[in-house]
Amino acid sequence: MSGVVGEPVLAIALRTLAVSGAALALAVAIGVPLGLALGHRRFPGRGLLVATVNAGMGLPPVVVGLLVALALWRSGPLGTLGWMYTPQAMVIAQVLIALPLVVGITLAAVGALPADFHLQVRALGVRGPRAAWLLVRETRRGLLAAVIAALGGILSEVGAVTMVGGNLEGETRVLTSGILMYTQMGRFETALALAAVLLGLTFVLAAALTAVQQASRW
Amino acid sequence: MVTSDAVLAARELLVRPGARAGGFTLRVPDLALRRGEVLAILGPNGAGKTTLLRALAGLIAPSAGAIEVRAPHGVALVFQHPLLLAGNVAWNAEVPLWGRGIARRNRQERARAALARFGIAALAERDATTLSGGEARRLALARAFVVAPDVLLLDEPFDDLDAAGREALVQDLAGAIRETEIAVAIVTHDLRQALLLADRIAVLDAGALAQLGARDEVLRRPASAEVAALVGMANWLPGRVRSRDAAGLALVELASAATLRVATACAAGTDVWVGIRPEHVKIDVDHSDPNTLGPASVETRVSDGALVVAWIDWHALRLRTHLLAGRGLGQTLKAGDGVFIAVRPEDVHVLPRDPR
Repeated sequence: MSGVVGEPVLAIALRTLAVSGAALALAVAIGVPLGLALGHRRFPGRGLLVATVNAGMGLPPVVVGLLVALALWRSGPLGTLGWMYTPQAMVIAQVLIALPLVVGITLAAVGALPADFHLQVRALGVRGPRAAWLLVRETRRGLLAAVIAALGGILSEVGAVTMVGGNLEGETRVLTSGILMYTQMGRFETALALAAVLLGLTFVLAAALTAVQQASRW
Repeated sequence: MVTSDAVLAARELLVRPGARAGGFTLRVPDLALRRGEVLAILGPNGAGKTTLLRALAGLIAPSAGAIEVRAPHGVALVFQHPLLLAGNVAWNAEVPLWGRGIARRNRQERARAALARFGIAALAERDATTLSGGEARRLALARAFVVAPDVLLLDEPFDDLDAAGREALVQDLAGAIRETEIAVAIVTHDLRQALLLADRIAVLDAGALAQLGARDEVLRRPASAEVAALVGMANWLPGRVRSRDAAGLALVELASAATLRVATACAAGTDVWVGIRPEHVKIDVDHSDPNTLGPASVETRVSDGALVVAWIDWHALRLRTHLLAGRGLGQTLKAGDGVFIAVRPEDVHVLPRDPR
């Protein structure tokens, strides 16, 4: 039976957490400031940019996978990095999938603020980092909705991570790509075990974020 | 030139708020706010009142001119629709102190005092989003006072309050202003509240400063028909100066051939506006007043219980008069009554009428 046992579920789950966690952190770190800035700055071309972001929320992961693969391929523009079939490649793909979700939902949250929000905050004598913190605080429900949506998009994604990660045992196999493979092999028990872990992870993380989102005091 | 008690002054101010704000230009040559004094800024919608307030607060950069500030404790502006932040009432009152990096304990203490000043200390723990309109107003004012500013700018502070709420707020504001010796500017379209608080009045019309002066001066001597309408000079009639008498008074003929003796420098033959405040049209019961205008009749009489408003037909002109309700003539006067009316020459405001 050796050779068909495969990698322990726990190792796959931990790798999934690491890759998805890194992708989520990056997507939020880039997407939230971008969404906040885009939400209250007016400049030429803003409308087109917002439309692009909104269209990007429905970007097919498989297309993202293709583009990242093209970029990272040995002869591609980033080929010298040697990241093809590594967790780094998977993180890049997931960031690209989650980014439009984070930016788009953040943008909507900022849009729901009163039109003179920034003027009023300034009139209250709140500037700089404190003003930014007030903005985050006032839009926290929307921001956490963005994080939850990004988490869902990242955790459930399989096409792109398989294309650029390669589903290599012990290296780039994650829960979704594992489920796909074991199902194709007819090893439904293992596939189900991975699926159960994936669902459990998704639920626990979403529940934790929801608790933060709904907390009355911040 | 900033006088010693001016804490905030606009000099040759020119503001173009941009097309999105209506595209008009605000021009204010000279306007100073003084310590312990309330300036009411009146004007029709779109006159530039809010823009002026925001420019004074330093929130809008002027295109030309300058705002001179001598306010070490700052300038507080309360918006027409104050932004209430997520969290409780106490936190909202603390925000300006938090923004200035003041320690929590000090912050809480000062916020409590500010809330108490406006009678909402008991609401400190309440979620700010659950407040009524009047409570939210008070919170916004407490939040403005929490930093003990030198200047307080209020944009329509009596908006969406009922009559009782307005009176109560006027009382609290008057107290707070007296105690803190703060300089205040109030933008409002509510003439009554403005008059109750104001020492001086500025009138804005289409972005221009139409008049600036002591409250009673503006009330009695409005500089234009627009200002007259805004400050409640309800009797505003066209006329022409006929002649001048030995006492230096002029005889003004109103359109209907009715004549008035007035104190004016206008020469004979000048077309003029004649303005008389309703409270200066006196009903002369026994026809003994030396300033009598002769017989007239009461056309309409209405009363809100405190004030009687009557429209008097005098030579086919309609003059509005105010009397106190509930006693004397206020009680007995009724529509259809024949009366004598009298107006003192010094209570008649005469303004040359532009031939255009």
